[in-house]
Amino acid sequence: MKRELWNQDWFGPFAVTVLAIVIVGALKPSFLSPFNIQILLLAISVNALVAFSQMVIIAIGQMNLSVGAIGGLAAISFAGMMEVWGLPWPVAAVLSLGIGLLAGLTNGLLCAYTGISAFVITLATLSVFKGFNLGITEAQPFYDVPEMVKWLGNATVLGPIPWLVLPFAVSAVALWYLLFRLPLGRSVLAVGGNTHAAELSGISVPRIVVFAHSVSGLLAAMAGIMLVARLQLGQPSIGDDWLILSFAAPIIGGAVLTGGRVSVGGTCCGVAIVAIITQVLVLFNIDPFLVQVVLGGLILWAVGVNRIREVRGQRKAAAAGI
Amino acid sequence: MKAPVFEAGNVTKVFPGVLALDEVNLKLASGSIHALLGENGAGKSTLIKIMTGVHRPDGGVMKIDGQPFSPHTTRDAISSGVGVVYQERNLIPQFSIAENIFLERLSAKPLQRIDYPALYADAQKWLDLLEIDARPETQVDKLNVARMQLVEIAKALSLNTRILLLDEPTASLTQHETETLFGILNRLRENGASLVFVSHKLEEVQEICDRVTVLRDGRNACESRALHGLDRQDIVRLMIGRSEQIPQWNQRDISGDKVALDIRNVATQDGHRDINFQLGKGEVLGLYGLVGSGRTELAKALIGAGNVTSGEIRIDGEIAKIGSVADALHQYGIGYVSEDRKGEGLILIHSVLENAGITVWKRLKNAFGLLSDRAVVNSVDPVLKKLEVRTPSSRQIVGNLSGGNQQKVSVAKWLAANVKILIVDEPTVGVDIKTKAYVHELIRELADSGTSILLITSDMPEMVTVADRILVMDEFELRGEIVNDRNYDLVSERIMHHIHGSNEEAAE
Repeated sequence: MKRELWNQDWFGPFAVTVLAIVIVGALKPSFLSPFNIQILLLAISVNALVAFSQMVIIAIGQMNLSVGAIGGLAAISFAGMMEVWGLPWPVAAVLSLGIGLLAGLTNGLLCAYTGISAFVITLATLSVFKGFNLGITEAQPFYDVPEMVKWLGNATVLGPIPWLVLPFAVSAVALWYLLFRLPLGRSVLAVGGNTHAAELSGISVPRIVVFAHSVSGLLAAMAGIMLVARLQLGQPSIGDDWLILSFAAPIIGGAVLTGGRVSVGGTCCGVAIVAIITQVLVLFNIDPFLVQVVLGGLILWAVGVNRIREVRGQRKAAAAGI
Repeated sequence: MKAPVFEAGNVTKVFPGVLALDEVNLKLASGSIHALLGENGAGKSTLIKIMTGVHRPDGGVMKIDGQPFSPHTTRDAISSGVGVVYQERNLIPQFSIAENIFLERLSAKPLQRIDYPALYADAQKWLDLLEIDARPETQVDKLNVARMQLVEIAKALSLNTRILLLDEPTASLTQHETETLFGILNRLRENGASLVFVSHKLEEVQEICDRVTVLRDGRNACESRALHGLDRQDIVRLMIGRSEQIPQWNQRDISGDKVALDIRNVATQDGHRDINFQLGKGEVLGLYGLVGSGRTELAKALIGAGNVTSGEIRIDGEIAKIGSVADALHQYGIGYVSEDRKGEGLILIHSVLENAGITVWKRLKNAFGLLSDRAVVNSVDPVLKKLEVRTPSSRQIVGNLSGGNQQKVSVAKWLAANVKILIVDEPTVGVDIKTKAYVHELIRELADSGTSILLITSDMPEMVTVADRILVMDEFELRGEIVNDRNYDLVSERIMHHIHGSNEEAAE
């Protein structure tokens, strides 16, 4: 027996997303213009990777405060290697992804083998990675981004759909496949659900922790590289404002912060909801700084909804007498 | 019977879709230990929650000393003198004993400095009363389970509790600790307290209680009657509506069987020394020991979750190198059903299917590393059916199942993995009579089909019912080996002799 549609983790956020599109579209038809949809999709594509990067760590019941710092480091590495060393963009992209992977691996090894909490370790590495970033750039952007990269960052494949949707879509499917179809991914969720139980069931917890952090680093780096393409320059401040969003989207999408339960579809909807709200504030000429307030409210709402569902589930089970 | 201290008349509680309590009556006298019995789901917990103000009744009245008593919150219940010690520990591990006892009244006013010397002196009185051998400033997580239990009782009593509800207080205590607790309960009874004792262990009920109320399907199967004159079978009949079937298991001949697990001179980082034993193929080998004697630690060392520092482990005659739990499971086919179901056995927020399937994911993935739901269902479903796990679907979240069903799921995951050697640690803590009998049958069936079982338990009747041979462990050493001839009195006496003999030597 499959769980009913409305009990799926992603259903609530999905309904809210659809509702938001319908209402805003009705009030402001310009919201549904091809240009606006393109802008929306660009924002969603990059932010989704940021959110995925955190989601993988939430899945194992930890936090990664260094998501933005890794993204920023990868971004300036990408732009810097092209400008200073003149490397072709695909090579620079692969090397920068490697830097992200390495940064994540470092986080993972430290978390898995020191016994220090991920919060503290990623707080420290956040500072280290950001320090490298500022040391390399001296806080000045790299402006010399190849035309091809600029084009990829803004051109569309089909109708209003930008090229940047591609890495987002591929990562989303790959993550879903990993978490819900591969033993490796199931083990990630098992470690988050109950570390002791997972260990005593024959899962190597340290390896899973290292793996999850490495994936997180890779995804953050990908988001950083995409942002260079979109902004058309290697801005050292890339990643500085990712932290709240990275937690908000997975939580809105139904993730349990103590680990063991995340939803790829839900996280995508979470990202979409945040992007729509940001746009709405612009469309209706509302102070964009209100985004932060709304975002905070959304997090509380999402946690509340999860809690209600949890309690209802327990009641149902009690009523069924099992 | 004297005028009752507490009286519940026709208490009814409806949960959506289910009548949890149907006009239930209960009378408690002072200076009495009253047994509240029933199978899981009979309504005991609901009744306790109503008495302590967690739930409110939908019908009926409660009275204390003849005055109406309708607690809206747990605070109301406490101020009326009703206290409860739950199964789950409700102490703050990082706080001292004294701080835990007086947690919500550390000082008279919230901003007043805590007078620690006075606090410790107050706490000491309770420690003396309950004969707790620990200092009030000791951090609670340094205590063993039995002492934590006593600290909880101290906490309840310090709140001027006259009606103390004890929910499965002996579930994680050893026989010795249980006896100490009973001594204390007896003294509280003599001092006029009214105690309610909830337990699945009928031997204990008969030993300590004087009156009994049995619930079955939310109704009174019997109400506040004297326990005297009721034997075990009478009580069981009241609880389950029919007689208990005690399996008369024959002595099995296991002498000719092959040795599955051979432990030679094993020492561990936890402090085990000179551990030697053999487990035959299809044998049920009992490992009896008090909490803290090193039973669970030995089990964990054997499955690669602890460190074996010297000695030899042979499996089917070959020397085994077990570096991790994964090695133990995938190379040698050893599984471990944890005593701590919630903490170590199950992932409560995941589904039945995922919990039971966790051990087989690796085996089931196809050439592309893909794990199909169908493959997991196919390998797990027969096991869930065989164990009769009661769940609306295998997608049900395990945390929502009853304790007995959770226990079945934690056994199911190892059966699905087809292990050859299964270490079962306290398999029936907190499960009801029917489920317990079922688990015992299951262990026996597994052994009959060739699985070798190491059964760790401190439940003496369970040990005598199920095990073929019994090892006795104390202070991380094996003290003796007993062939179980199913004579309960004789076997338990010999087990206790092995332990107390060594305890007395160690004490002086």
